[in-house]
Amino acid sequence: MHAVLELSHLTKRYGQLEALRDLSFVVRPGEIFGFVGANGAGKTTTMRVVLGVLEADSGSVIWDGAPITFAARRRIGYIPEDRGLYPKMAVLAQLEYFAQLHGLKRAAAREASTALLERVGLADRGKSQLQSLSHGNQQRVQLAAALVFSPELLVLDEPFAGLDPVAVDSMTEVLRAEADAGKPVVLSSHQLDIVERICDRVGIINHGQMVAVGTVAELTERGPVRYWADAPGAGTGWYDSVPGTTLVEQDGSRWLVQLGDGTDDQAVLRAALATGPVREFRRDRPALTQLFRDVMSGTAVGEESDR
Amino acid sequence: MKRRSLIRVIATREFMARIRTRVFTITTVLTVIAIGGYILLQAYVFNKPTATALDVGFVGAAQSIAAPVRAEAGAAGETITVHLYTSAAAGKADLESGTLDALVSGSGAGTVMAVQSTVDPTLETALNDQSRQQVLSEYLTQHDLPPSAVLSQLAFSVGVNELSPVNAARIEQIVVGLLVAGVLYVSMVIYGQLVAAGVIEEKSNRIVEILLATVRPWQLMMGKIIGIGLIALIQVVLVAAVALVLASATKLVSIPTLSVDVVISGVVWFVLGYLMYALLFAAAGSMVSRQEDVSSVALPVIFVLVAGWILALTVAAPDPGSVGTTVLSFIPVFSPVIMPVRIAAGVAPFWQVAISVVLVIGTIVLFAAVAGRIYRNSVLRVGGRVKFSDALGLPPSVDRPAQRFS
Repeated sequence: MHAVLELSHLTKRYGQLEALRDLSFVVRPGEIFGFVGANGAGKTTTMRVVLGVLEADSGSVIWDGAPITFAARRRIGYIPEDRGLYPKMAVLAQLEYFAQLHGLKRAAAREASTALLERVGLADRGKSQLQSLSHGNQQRVQLAAALVFSPELLVLDEPFAGLDPVAVDSMTEVLRAEADAGKPVVLSSHQLDIVERICDRVGIINHGQMVAVGTVAELTERGPVRYWADAPGAGTGWYDSVPGTTLVEQDGSRWLVQLGDGTDDQAVLRAALATGPVREFRRDRPALTQLFRDVMSGTAVGEESDR
Repeated sequence: MKRRSLIRVIATREFMARIRTRVFTITTVLTVIAIGGYILLQAYVFNKPTATALDVGFVGAAQSIAAPVRAEAGAAGETITVHLYTSAAAGKADLESGTLDALVSGSGAGTVMAVQSTVDPTLETALNDQSRQQVLSEYLTQHDLPPSAVLSQLAFSVGVNELSPVNAARIEQIVVGLLVAGVLYVSMVIYGQLVAAGVIEEKSNRIVEILLATVRPWQLMMGKIIGIGLIALIQVVLVAAVALVLASATKLVSIPTLSVDVVISGVVWFVLGYLMYALLFAAAGSMVSRQEDVSSVALPVIFVLVAGWILALTVAAPDPGSVGTTVLSFIPVFSPVIMPVRIAAGVAPFWQVAISVVLVIGTIVLFAAVAGRIYRNSVLRVGGRVKFSDALGLPPSVDRPAQRFS
């Protein structure tokens, strides 16, 4: 089943606080959608609305072309913001429990749990109590619990919180495989470098509103066009021959040059080569972090329409 | 997936998670020890039978009443071995060494009984009777009246008509009733609080959020109540079995009193009472987020349980047939501890039991609706204690801060 998840004009208020304001976005099959925003921006509220543990005041969650049902919600693999597993229960038994809750028969549940534990690299810890595992391993179990019943959609609230880079990589690998199998994957994270690396598309939420949606490339290309040139032989004003160029920053032999609208980057490269050897010439893309800061500080990147 | 099988999956987890724990083993052993200890205490301390065989010494003149004293005590069920002494000192020595239980000397109004510390009442009565008869016989003889003719006319006792006889069987019945009610009361308090703690556990580690994305709040609550209830039932049945065996072995109660239907009705009342109170405990637990706060919400429920038990001890036990007991046994929250006392005493007609069962079932349905509502409205709210009006889903109070919904 390759279905689209669509959030359409969601609003949610807590008293005076507007937690969600006309929030809309789409997650397509096979896509990892990264959901970023400051604390309290509305990420968790959004995910809880998708899961149905919280009801929106208005708007709708559309799954496979129709408003999502309880039965469809039971096909969502979910990792909540605060981890949710039984600390004193054995890992394997825990996975079996979740598999059974999602309708697997006992034998099938055992089989799926064993297979998944192997997949997240914890095959030898099946009998251990959850609380005896390290934080990273507990998180792997949490992921396994979300996947054990072969969900059709993944909703993961801060899945990388507190994980070391190796654990992040192994989790990313699993998520990528799930997405490649055609499932939409929605995740939220504070770790923008990770989001930038693994997400196909990113949505930035601020005060309950979606302020930017797009692929990482789309979002980062929207800023000014700047190039880094490492030209040891260059002197001040070497780029002046190309119209529309301005210097942004110089760091030893490295120059950051901003290009105006319609300026040919190849002309800039030729101007650099004219000064002698060029060791580096590359587009400067603002990191998602920079973009995120811009959004938060009000330097909006501009709204992109949702599809 | 069918709702019922989801509840079964949840109940199975609750059951398996607890049956193997040390807490279950320890509480089971402690409860069995408590009940067993109570029965043994009743049997051997409070109901301690008086000594039925005594060694009594008679010195000098006192020897003349030895035979009639032994005869009278024998009629009262006491065996007296008579030791005759000519020397008071020899008798005294035997009393001090413990060979004798009592030493009688003197005659008539001057009869004296020496004992170690406690006087056997049967012996004392016999001694009084016989020494008085001795005096009376001498007096009658002096006045030329035949003592045997006079004394034979005195050989009667006053007839007694008991309007409401307290017989041994009746006391047994009350003991049995209280035993059943007591086990039910203790189990409801312990397992009710376990339900509350279980709800809080899921709430505090946020697992409830994953669960509620899959199952309805109602299913989650019932699964927990049923799973823990099965554990409780095992313990109750175990305790009942131990009580039956011990009680019959010590002859504290005869098996007919502790009849099968008393035990079965006890189990039925446990199931009903547990369901009724577990619903309240589950609702109470859902309103707080930390185990430390459980007492603040569980206290009112425990208070009602304690009140029921106190009423069972003070009103029902002394007079199971009274109007007060009958009325109390129809109040649903008290029925599970009062009705077993009435049933064991044999004063609860079937139709009354049936009506109170129906009332309790009705209360369970009502509590289930209210508790389900409170649970649904509270269990996802973290932070402080959920306000009662919010928990019931009444129109929201103004400007409630967004707790932890970010």
